[in-house]
Amino acid sequence: MNPVYIAGAGMTRFGRSEWPLIQLASVASMAALKHASLGDIPVDGVVVANMGAARVNKQTALGSALVDQLALYPAMAEAVENGPASGASAFKVGCQAISSGMADVVLVTGVERMRVVNGLEGTDFVASLSQPEVEYIYGVTLPSLAGMFTRLLMDKYGIERKHLAMVAIKNHFNATRNPYAHIQQTVTMEGILTAPEAIVNNPPIAEPLHMFDCCPVSDGAASVVLVSESIARKLKAPKVLVAGIGQATDTHAVQEREDPTDLKAVRLASEKAFGMAGLKPSDVDVAELHDAFTILEIAESEAAGFFPRGEGHKALERGETALDGKLPINPSGGLKAKGHPVGATGVAHLVELAWQLRGEAEGRQIQNAKVGYACNFGGFGNNVVATVLKREAE
Amino acid sequence: MSTQVHAPVTAAKCAKCGTVNYPKRPVCKTCRGEVFEEIAVSGEGKVLTYTDVYALAIDYETRYLRLAIVELDDGLRVTGQLLDEMPKVGKRVKTTIGIVREPGDKPILGLQFVPI
Repeated sequence: MNPVYIAGAGMTRFGRSEWPLIQLASVASMAALKHASLGDIPVDGVVVANMGAARVNKQTALGSALVDQLALYPAMAEAVENGPASGASAFKVGCQAISSGMADVVLVTGVERMRVVNGLEGTDFVASLSQPEVEYIYGVTLPSLAGMFTRLLMDKYGIERKHLAMVAIKNHFNATRNPYAHIQQTVTMEGILTAPEAIVNNPPIAEPLHMFDCCPVSDGAASVVLVSESIARKLKAPKVLVAGIGQATDTHAVQEREDPTDLKAVRLASEKAFGMAGLKPSDVDVAELHDAFTILEIAESEAAGFFPRGEGHKALERGETALDGKLPINPSGGLKAKGHPVGATGVAHLVELAWQLRGEAEGRQIQNAKVGYACNFGGFGNNVVATVLKREAE
Repeated sequence: MSTQVHAPVTAAKCAKCGTVNYPKRPVCKTCRGEVFEEIAVSGEGKVLTYTDVYALAIDYETRYLRLAIVELDDGLRVTGQLLDEMPKVGKRVKTTIGIVREPGDKPILGLQFVPI
């Protein structure tokens, strides 16, 4: 397999946007292309990640639409829809195009504009990824699957609501250091859990999960420029290697999982990604996890191999996953505070890691970060893409 | 006149290895067998986990839904709506059929769980 490098990364601020869908995608793409400083090297391919545009924005064929906006013809182009894992899936498709020799430069852009619809419609569009006959039909939504999963883990490992709150507090703090984050406001244990008014500030969403355990609904776009080794050599920029990608699937319905407390697809995808990279979880300096719900950051940190099962919340409590900890998790603010424009999320993970590995993450920079890991969690864990990036010496 | 629609509350039991596939699928998840006997999904079991969800999809006008995954006594796990004022993990329940979703004028009947 030919090596693939990330030459540039850019994004829009996440939040509520008045821009049309394709403008969001264009702005992030132009930032990434500028960051890559390609000069007159042409873009051979464009891959757009998106989940809901056909339904909520009434627009399809986003690859063609983005090529046209950026005047990148005759580049090959397509869109990838893989639920909440669309972003890292599109990234994988872009890497495959380069590693196979079909392309030298590929632009991968994830985008979602989901705040145009009301809450019920937005929740329903995401819920449409669940099993239609045995889950969706009963009113299952993503928060409900997360709520039922949380109760299982709390009972099994002694996780308490305070641990879930610690994820939110950490990620909200990190987001105050990230100008691209949707919510740039700190929260406190008193405000969301222990004070008498906490129940008003932080109402239940899917018991035992409350509002501050759930990511906000965001619009936004994120973009990376992938290049082959020959192009990477011509560019002056730091070399961020796509060291490993792993993907794994599991049963569509959560009820069918052999062990419903095990994020098996995260485990298998991560093992594949680390295997391909020739690296171990202990080599990772910075990680971006898919904390659509606070419990997922804890559970994924174990399934990815950073902590033994049932120990993730203890590492969190010891501060090991904070910005100044042994393994900073979600320095960007995570989905929890940076926001979760569904199709953009998996690409935004890799944007943050690329910036971290290039030393460009400013107020949230992890010192000497050389290896980064990302987990893009699709479905409720039935389709997961794990990625390992590595900064190469000049 | 409203017409009622049934959620699929039957499963596919593999003729070769006996695995109960629910949801039904054309290929057995255990042995890849393709011959099945259709069996009803019903009976008694215990609550594996549950939630009160306030983030609802379209077709609901209630404030929240109480959903559960129940492990039936034959080992099959099923998701449905829990009709119990005092929900608890491990509590014994049995399946019943009721309206689980109402898109427009076509109520959908499906699995609900009531305490024994």
